[in-house]
Amino acid sequence: MIQRLGAIIDKLLDGKPETYRGVMGVYYYVDDVAEAVRTLRQVGYKNLSVYSPVPYHEIEAALEQGPSIVRWVTFGGATLGLTGGFALCFYASVSYPLVVGGKELLSLPPFVVIGYESMILLGSLANLLGMLALARLPQVKAKVPYDRRFSEDRIGIWVPCDRDAAPRVEQMLRGHGAEEVTVHA
Amino acid sequence: MTDITLGPVTPVAEGHVRRSDPAEPPITQKSLNQDLLKLISVPGPIWWSIFLLDLTILAIGVIAERNQIVHGIGVAGHTRPVMWASYVANFVFWVGIAHCGTLVSAILFLFRSHFRRAVYRVAEAMTVFGVLTAALFPIVHLGRPWFAYWLFPFPTQRQLWPNFRSPLEWDVFAVNTYLTVSTIFFIVGIIPDAAAARDRTKNPFMRLIFTAASFGWRGGNNQWKHFYSAYLYFAAFATPLVLSVHSVVSWDFAMAQVPGWHSTIFAPYFVAGAIFSGVAMVINLLIPIRFGFKLQHIVTLDHMEKLSKLVLLTSTIVGYSYLVEFFCAWYGPSKYERDLFWWRATGHFAWAFWIMFSCNVIIPLLLWFKGVRRNMAVLFVLCLFVNVGMWFERFVIIVTSLARPFEPMTWGINYRMSWTEAAILAGSFAWFFMFFLIFIRVLPAFSVAEIKETLAPPRRKEAA
Repeated sequence: MIQRLGAIIDKLLDGKPETYRGVMGVYYYVDDVAEAVRTLRQVGYKNLSVYSPVPYHEIEAALEQGPSIVRWVTFGGATLGLTGGFALCFYASVSYPLVVGGKELLSLPPFVVIGYESMILLGSLANLLGMLALARLPQVKAKVPYDRRFSEDRIGIWVPCDRDAAPRVEQMLRGHGAEEVTVHA
Repeated sequence: MTDITLGPVTPVAEGHVRRSDPAEPPITQKSLNQDLLKLISVPGPIWWSIFLLDLTILAIGVIAERNQIVHGIGVAGHTRPVMWASYVANFVFWVGIAHCGTLVSAILFLFRSHFRRAVYRVAEAMTVFGVLTAALFPIVHLGRPWFAYWLFPFPTQRQLWPNFRSPLEWDVFAVNTYLTVSTIFFIVGIIPDAAAARDRTKNPFMRLIFTAASFGWRGGNNQWKHFYSAYLYFAAFATPLVLSVHSVVSWDFAMAQVPGWHSTIFAPYFVAGAIFSGVAMVINLLIPIRFGFKLQHIVTLDHMEKLSKLVLLTSTIVGYSYLVEFFCAWYGPSKYERDLFWWRATGHFAWAFWIMFSCNVIIPLLLWFKGVRRNMAVLFVLCLFVNVGMWFERFVIIVTSLARPFEPMTWGINYRMSWTEAAILAGSFAWFFMFFLIFIRVLPAFSVAEIKETLAPPRRKEAA
């Protein structure tokens, strides 16, 4: 029973084979990857992806990645939280007016704490959702022929291409020090 | 990216970092995966013994809480005018413990203090479990805990809302925001490491758990880009949050006009105290883990020494605050304040005051000696004293101030902790350690990805 359940989980988590078209190169050295990425981009393969156990600045530079736009999502959430926190306090004070000690109904200083905490709460939630959406997470099945070594010590370059271009891409990847190259076309 | 935090190591070719002793194998990205993820395995008899003992203590705490619900809050030792006592002390203590995690994971991240990489996951876990423990106490302290949800703002047909001018309501927002944000920060940090654990395990059930914890992470360049950007903003949010939360907790007291509470120094004093006890607790957790799992080459003596310096720094701030409180009482105009502080140090609860002062100010002075900072047995015992002292600090602030109010008629009535309160306090430690014991065997207790960043990247040029 447990074995059958395990087999079902394995089936659920493993992606369908060969639904993707492209070439995957497996590397060990970071400078080889950066050089390969630069060359591939120069000949027109701009849509490639690199998989690595840690982020490397050399590779980021070779990919010419711009800054993440997650900051704008975060900013939106934080703004909503700040205004929402104050709005909640204002509404609660006005909807049930209860004057205590002759003090102002809309007393700003104590509401700052609520506004401030709400800003951080909604900003953080927006940051999380923004990051997950932009990084295409959650992702149950891999969208590329993922290799388990990519979370250990190997780096992968995935070049989406059709069958005709695959031999050339394979040759370029091998020429830049790929340990293994697999064609999925 | 290539900072060396792995102790006495030297970067060499092929991305390895080698220890000083050439007889030992080099530390590589692969060996780090093995060393750090080996904690996730079927626990042995020692773990099970500790876990069962922990569950037994937790059961005693749960029974005590059940008694309190059935018989009423009167089973606690609260006696008018001391109607806040150990439960509120426990709440402040556990919120304080929780502060270190965010300090290590967020503030030190923004300051680029790379020594945090080896220790921050343990500190973050401690934060989340600390807040979970702290959040129990406002509910435990309620006479009718089933109405705890009244604390939250929600629309009702009577249009009644909580009082947003009350520091207790600020606390609801601050502590719940802190719980949410620190949990998100913790879960997000685990994503790449859970992916490494997923790729390593052969057990389909563990694979399912790690796939869920990693959100299906693959380590693509697009994922890393958004991940690190978001991580920076989490740190940027968590830093002011951690300072605000304990400030808000301190205002639970400072906003009231009770002698001993009504002080502007409370916010920074509480924040420093929180970090003080939190770092001491991290040291108390890390020492057995690094010893038990033989991780001395990853969590090195240098890391422990840096943490102990943080304990020393915050100890001096806490000591300064104690003295300033006495100075203000002596120098200020309020005779009630002056009387209270004199009574604190010499009256009925003088024993608690002097335990607090010795453990938090005098004993940590030993940390000026390098030999003490690098001796793990001594450091462990010293940090236990700090935690005892910090619990007593909250006890002293809360109980002595309430026991000596403006009305002299009530001065003779003193609070005495009941067995119910003692059992619930013990149960709170068991509740905290239950989560922690499960955590170290189920999720990556060290940040594999960030520790890998301390290694020199493998380069063909250097290998050649």
